[in-house]
Order: sequence, then structure tokens, then C-alpha cells
Amino acid sequence: MNLSLLSVAAAAAVAMVGFTSAANAHGPTRQKVSETIEINAPADKVWAVVSNFQDGGWIPIVAKTEGTGGNAPGAKRTLTLKNGATVDEEVAKLEPEKMTLMYRIDKVDVKVLPVNNYSSWLIVTPEDGGKSKVEWRGAFYRGYENNDPPPELSDEAAIKAVTGLYKMGLDGLKKKIEGTN
Amino acid sequence: MCRIAYPRKAEPAAKGRLRHVALCAIFALCCAPLARADEAFITSQPADALSIVDLKTRAIVSRLTIPDKPAGIAVSPDGRRAFVTSPDGKALTIVDAAARRIERRVDVGGGPLGVAVHPSGSPAYVADWYEHQVIAVEADTGAIAGKVKTGNSPSGLALTPDGALLVSADRDSDEISLIDTKTLTRIATVPTGHKPFGVTIDDAGARAYVANVASSDITVVDLAARTVLATVKVGERPYAVALARGLAFTTDQYASTVTAFDTATFEKKASIAVGDYPEGIAAARDGSEVYVASWEANTLSVIDTATLKVVKEIAMPDGPRAFGSFLRRAD
Repeated sequence: MNLSLLSVAAAAAVAMVGFTSAANAHGPTRQKVSETIEINAPADKVWAVVSNFQDGGWIPIVAKTEGTGGNAPGAKRTLTLKNGATVDEEVAKLEPEKMTLMYRIDKVDVKVLPVNNYSSWLIVTPEDGGKSKVEWRGAFYRGYENNDPPPELSDEAAIKAVTGLYKMGLDGLKKKIEGTN
Repeated sequence: MCRIAYPRKAEPAAKGRLRHVALCAIFALCCAPLARADEAFITSQPADALSIVDLKTRAIVSRLTIPDKPAGIAVSPDGRRAFVTSPDGKALTIVDAAARRIERRVDVGGGPLGVAVHPSGSPAYVADWYEHQVIAVEADTGAIAGKVKTGNSPSGLALTPDGALLVSADRDSDEISLIDTKTLTRIATVPTGHKPFGVTIDDAGARAYVANVASSDITVVDLAARTVLATVKVGERPYAVALARGLAFTTDQYASTVTAFDTATFEKKASIAVGDYPEGIAAARDGSEVYVASWEANTLSVIDTATLKVVKEIAMPDGPRAFGSFLRRAD
């Protein structure tokens, strides 16, 4: 998953030299992605990991997390990925009673993740038998701001990249938490 | 006033009157020919759906499939038709609103998003996000009647109640365009805040309220003078505006709130929590309620404009957007 995400990114980089993402530029159709996983651990334990905004280490491609403000709204972090790329993110909303963290990407190169105006939600729900369910939801526009995008910056490419990220991330979360049981 | 025939028996006068009153009350509740309730026509973008919500029962009474991520909506003031934009299909779909039937799909090209309909019922005006123009489409035939250039990336559209003036919010030019509908010419521009998106005109046709997504404020424009009357701060990333009871209500996308402010004093009255990504918003004809589509939460929230509280959340198909005048009068 890691490699395929990076190879997609590399293809985009070749095609789109000089293209940078503008924070407010997007087309008319926002996309939605949702992935879930069941984890064999109580919800409060899972929430403790998921809500720690200053450690994105459960996402396998993340090498380093640096930030400020804990997980309160407005808290910032910069994720450095294993390939050296960085992603700047910010907490939008924290609802401990609903075990929901909402955050946004402030800055990412479309060569790294082919999206604009990205926000996401991590939601932990208790399940029977001391298990829990984690849902990772995302809302974003494709990487290309004009009509008729090149394939690597299309809606499909954005959905594929985010879906891949979520699957990989949730697998990583499950391994990390169940491995420390 | 109440006339009900029921068998007369010998009974005490007082008891008879009571019985008459009770029967009249029951008749009024269950059997009187009620006026049909107004409806909300809600586009759900990822679901490719147009849902019709009965605003009295708060239930979805009909659902049409509209392909290619339907976003913008305009219902004609007479309630006869609904016009829906599908940006991914570069199309406008014309719907027979009463029959719940698709009449035709018109290829308009470009990036159709905002849509508004002339008070007479035709034409429908479609904002073309990519080609920076407004396209006029004849409602009866689907023929393209004309085009007019705007600023960059026109998004929201609104008309004055007399139909003489069309306003487009030109998102990437930080201005609104004023368009004369008779000649289909752009006659003026007025500067707004940063990234204007939704625009709403009051019942008097005197003011336009423009939601500026990037500067998180509302520009209030005097349409006759073509000047800015006020700039009002609201919640983060306002998307669109509705007007009711002397208040303006804004959907604050990033704050997940509806901000209400007084249109006379521009003083903030309330910040009302709704579902994430509130987008389309419209006010009931009598001003008693406003309705808010929340794209991420998949809800249509009903806000009581007297108490400024959410009184109902109606579940919607995935990704309700309803950008435009989505309420239909049914009587």
C-alpha cells in the first residue's frame, strides 16, 4: 500500500511539474470516503491512541510527528512521511463524548496526496465483547482545480489515494493496538 | 360555523353542545381539506439523488435519480418545475415538480453549479464555474437562449422578485455581477469579501446578501446604489444565506453552525450548532422556519426562527447539498 501510494504520487509528480495546490481552489464536486475496521480492544483504549493528535505514528507511512496545542481545536501538527514529504494538519473539532476527532489538512502537495480542501473524521464506537469500531471519514476535492483533469489528479485518483491511505492507516492502528494487548 | 349532521336524540342541551364542539374539533383535526404542505427539494451529491421532503410531516415523499453529482437547485416560484445542475455531467436537469418526473436533461457544457429561475418560470440561469459565464436555458424547450460573461468562477445566482436583475457571486474575482435579464448584459459589479459563494436577495429586491467563504463574512449590498452597506462577520467558511423574520441565517461550513444576525442592526443573534458541512439553506414562505442541508452529516435540519433552535433533524441520502432556492410551494 505504501509503495502504491508513492508510485501514484511519483507519476503525478512527473506529469505536474510546477503545479502547486492552492488552498481555496477546487471544482464543484466534493468527494466522500469512509473506511471502518474492528479492533479487539476497548473503545477508551483505542480513543486514547486516535485522539492523540501529536502522534500520527500509527499511520504506517508517517516517520515523525511535530506539533503544538495537543488535540484542542486549532492544534497543529506536521507529519513527515517516510519518503520525506510533509503534511501540515490542524484540529477542527474534538468531541470526547462522541469519541470523534475532526481535523483538516492545511497544506499538502498534490504530488503527495492528490486532494484539495481535505478534512477528515476519526470516530471510535464501542462494540460488544470489549471490542471497538473505528471509522475514518474524509471530505475533499480532487487535486486538479479545472475542468477535465488529467487522470492522476481526477476524482477517481483522489478517492483511490484517500481510500488506500485509510485502509493502510486503519490496518496500522489495529496492529499497533492489538499488538500491545 | 361548524356544520356536522348527526342524529338528534333527546339529550340535555349542555351535553349536546359539548358533543357538537368535540365533533367539530375532531373534524377540524382529521377531515378538513388541508392545504398541501410546502416541500424541500434536496440534492444529494454522492447519492445522485433528488429527495422531495414534505415539510409538514418531515418525511421524504419521493426520490428521483439524477446522475453526475447533482448540486445546484432552483424551484420555480409557481412550484411547477425544479432545475438541477450536475457539474460532473455538464448538465441541467429539468424536473416536473408536481409529477416528480424528469422532463429533460440539457447539455450546457462547462461546469454548471449555481442555478436560479426567472420569477415567470423561464428561463433558468446556470452559472458556469469553468467558462466564467451564465447560460440562460428556456424551461419549456431546454434551448439555450443566451450567455453572458461574468467574473471568474460564478457560483451562486439570485434574481430580484421582479425578475429584472440577476446577480452572480463571482468566487474567484471577489465581486458580484449585476446582469440585466432583458438584454442579458452585465451592467455592473460590486466588490465583496474574499471568495463569494452563495447570494440571496431580499423580498423587496433591495439588498443582496453574499456569503464570502474565505473571509468568513457576509457582504450586504444595496442593489440600487450598487454599494456595500455592511460586512458582517459570521462563523468560519459561510456558504449561503437565508432571510426570515428580519434575520439573516448563514451556513458556516467549517464551524458546523448557522449564524443568525439582525438585518437592521447587523448584530449577531445566535450561533446554532448543526451537522458538519452545512451548505444549502432556505427559509419557509412564512418565515417561521429555516432548513439546512448538512453535506457530511446527511441531515436536513429544521430551525425554528423564533426560538433559534433546531427542532428536527431529517435523515437524507448521502451528501445533501441543495445549493439554491430549494423550497417549493405546493398550493
